Amino acid sequence: MALSVRSWVANEGGKHLVLVLWLGANTLLFMRTFLLYYCGQQYHYLHQMLGLGLCISRASASVLNLNCSLVLLPMCRSLLTYLRGTHTVTSRKARRLLDKSKTFHVTCGVAICVFSVVHVSAHLVNVVNFSVRYSEEFPSLNVARYSGEDPRLIILTTVPGITGILLVLILFLMFTASSYCIRVSNYEIFWYTHNLFIVFYIILIVHVVGGALKYQTNFEAHPPGCLRANQTNPDKTEEESGQAEGDGWSCREEARFQPNSPETWLWVSGPLCLYCAERLYRYIRSNSPVTIVAVVRHPCDVIELRMLKKDFKAQPGQYIVLNCPSVSSFENHPFTLTACPTEKKETLGIHLRVVGDWTERFTDLLLRDPGAESEILPMVQQRRYPKLYVDGPFGSSSQEVFNYEVSLCVAGGIGVTPFACVLHALLDGWRHFRLRRLYFVWVCRELQSFYWFAELLCALHHKLWKENRPDYLNLQLFVSQTDGLQNISEERYRPLSSRLMIGRPRWKLLFEEIGRTNKHKRVGVFCCGPKGISRTLHRLCNSDRYSGTTFEFNKESFS
Amino acid sequence: MGKIEWAMWANEQALAAGLILLTGGIVGVAGQFRDWEFAAYAIAAGVFVCLLEYPRGKRNKGTSVERTGQYCFTVCVKSFGPLTRNYYVRAFLHAAICVPGGFILATVLGCVCLGIASLIYLAAAIRGEQWEPILPRKESARKPVGESIKLPPQNPPPRPPAEMRRKRAEDLEAAAYVNPIAVTANDD
Repeated sequence: MALSVRSWVANEGGKHLVLVLWLGANTLLFMRTFLLYYCGQQYHYLHQMLGLGLCISRASASVLNLNCSLVLLPMCRSLLTYLRGTHTVTSRKARRLLDKSKTFHVTCGVAICVFSVVHVSAHLVNVVNFSVRYSEEFPSLNVARYSGEDPRLIILTTVPGITGILLVLILFLMFTASSYCIRVSNYEIFWYTHNLFIVFYIILIVHVVGGALKYQTNFEAHPPGCLRANQTNPDKTEEESGQAEGDGWSCREEARFQPNSPETWLWVSGPLCLYCAERLYRYIRSNSPVTIVAVVRHPCDVIELRMLKKDFKAQPGQYIVLNCPSVSSFENHPFTLTACPTEKKETLGIHLRVVGDWTERFTDLLLRDPGAESEILPMVQQRRYPKLYVDGPFGSSSQEVFNYEVSLCVAGGIGVTPFACVLHALLDGWRHFRLRRLYFVWVCRELQSFYWFAELLCALHHKLWKENRPDYLNLQLFVSQTDGLQNISEERYRPLSSRLMIGRPRWKLLFEEIGRTNKHKRVGVFCCGPKGISRTLHRLCNSDRYSGTTFEFNKESFS
Repeated sequence: MGKIEWAMWANEQALAAGLILLTGGIVGVAGQFRDWEFAAYAIAAGVFVCLLEYPRGKRNKGTSVERTGQYCFTVCVKSFGPLTRNYYVRAFLHAAICVPGGFILATVLGCVCLGIASLIYLAAAIRGEQWEPILPRKESARKPVGESIKLPPQNPPPRPPAEMRRKRAEDLEAAAYVNPIAVTANDD
């Protein structure tokens, strides 16, 4: 379908505006610092010695300062969750930008790597120039100890040199472990190397303390270039020396130099303290243990876990991070809440699918039956559940379902979990939300997956029928694999079996139908599922619609 | 917790180190500094390392993600057989390649990064990992259907005589019967 400018602006406009602002800030900083070192009088002698390498290295250093401070901010998850929750403060457009915080973090990270390469290359040229163009006139300007000193020795014997090498190595380790491939297959390598960031920042603050680059403090009294004008040069022609004397340059004093004051700590210390405070807060908050109340086994390798935690409040769509020391002390895994604690029911629930090492061992510990071998007496079995720590809740894009008048929720397989929480909340009371109509499309490979939430869906359907709003929930279930079971036979799940379709959904037709029945409205599209579905939906949201309906795309991702 | 595949990380590191070596070599040659022949060597070494490391190996379990356009590189690297399959060879090769990079300033960083990559490859080799090429999966038939399903049945299904089969509503317990011949799936 053709791209529509209005839809594109509604969906992508905010993100691209932030990108343009960020690029503008970087460019401005780069150009300003470059021109300062290129034209500034106080850097004239230094520039003469080092050439273009000085300007490029300093300009890239200032861009690095900006990005090293910005890169930490999107990772303050509790702060972002708080911002998301305060509806009166931020508009929905700003909240949608918060969905892209991880992308912004990656963008700043890539910028750090690129500009580090530029910075290091320029400084390598600088070091060679320090060695080759050793200045006899201004000995205090030199970093090399004698003319022609081996550049490698210069690097290894100065503080900026050694710290620079360490910084590059740490950045190298962090960057190579952050590719998508490694995150998907060996998440531990990514997590442990990324936690070296604290070492990186400490060394970064020490890196600028060396004071290798100096500026001239007295350029009014000693205008740069005046020393050469005063010296009699036998090779100069008559006109040149006459011109120089006629310019009226006079040196009143010797040039004095002072090292640049370090400013990296100004940029970096604020976000670093904020992030460390956030990690401390999360650690303290997650330290109170959690009581496991019930473990329910569902078909297709899904386990439902019900827990109790003191002072835990969550909104539908948020997720928590679980840590089970008996399985692995350092691994943390995110799971979306499927049931939030309410006044009526205080337990929080998650549904987890057994798909990797951690979930396998965790479910083994949960479902292990103690004393199953003893056949003597059926005594009351004290279920010994493993200790569990819960960090969260953290916000996600699915919290916005209630803030649109019409919402389309598309779930693929286990991706239904955020919407299950939404449905639970609707079951408790649907009148006070802004939401007037919910389209719920759930695509699964196997039919048995629908049993995870069959009760919930039927209960909501009946409630809405009784309260005379049958059109509130528009349910469509799809079984994508055509050679399994195709019929839900239970009588009590009749609403589901009559809305079950075999095969894949036809998204374009669905969008057209939603557009026709909700003309000139803004529909929130929420997708939690495989990449193929979310790409198709994203493309459809950006494309032309005839009924004047705007579809706003919100994606939830599990990684 | 779980088996970590070090070779994958070493592969990313070696590719990045190759690029760093290449960049350092270009800077060294462009600046025409002293001993720029080492920088020229670094360019060649960087290109070689990048070509060797570009094709990703297959994961032990799970889906392997290919790099774009890596198939031709896979074929080239596969043709060297055990030289490229064994990670000990790669570890020592990278260690040997990186040494001349340490002689001039421009390529020192590439040398150190490639050294780290070779250490990780050594760790992977000690744990017994190997490089398996990712080859396109041949599209086989989804479920091999037994041949006998295509022929019509030769015998009637096993069931007891008619008197036993007649439904007796008053005696449901006795009406149920067990098949005299076990009915199992066709394993042909």
